[in-house]
Amino acid sequence: YKAGLSHYMKLFSFYSKMPVEKKALEMVEKCLDKYFQHLCNDLEAFSAHAGRKTVKLEDLELLLRRQGLVTDHVSLHVLVERHLPLEYRQLLIPCAFSGNSVSPAQ
Amino acid sequence: MAVSTVVSKRIKRKAPRAFLRRTFKQKKPHLRLETACDLLIHLNCLLFVHRLAEESRTNACENKSRVIKKDHVLTAAKVILKKSRG
Repeated sequence: YKAGLSHYMKLFSFYSKMPVEKKALEMVEKCLDKYFQHLCNDLEAFSAHAGRKTVKLEDLELLLRRQGLVTDHVSLHVLVERHLPLEYRQLLIPCAFSGNSVSPAQ
Repeated sequence: MAVSTVVSKRIKRKAPRAFLRRTFKQKKPHLRLETACDLLIHLNCLLFVHRLAEESRTNACENKSRVIKKDHVLTAAKVILKKSRG
């Protein structure tokens, strides 16, 4: 579990563009831990509210909207394009392929 | 003062999808995740880390400190965790 969090800690020191103390990184780890806990609880609440047992893409979009990340000016697709690499973008944004098919299937 | 000065020029853009699924399963064993949902969770985490980093950087700049210290992260975390409630 800790090994997975280290990925995001690396990202933290990348985004901050400043040297970071070791203690501060430990603090970041704690924050991420708490953040994941909140995230899971929120997703559970959203899907339970819709009467589902599956977390769907709409739930995540609602979460991003509630967090003030997705707004009327910045849509989800913009955020995906800005932050995720191409192979993931293809999975998330509808895109027409040959043979009159659109992926991902709506 | 222990400072990790390693600012890696190249970082992995790949999402740790298996890790995200595993942690979600650990926390909520009775829920299922749809196919591409873990990617959006990754995006969410990415933006959270981004905001946290920016906030703690401004905190450090206000205190005229060249390195990010524990207190800067702590004050930033209070703000950002509050902002990222669902």
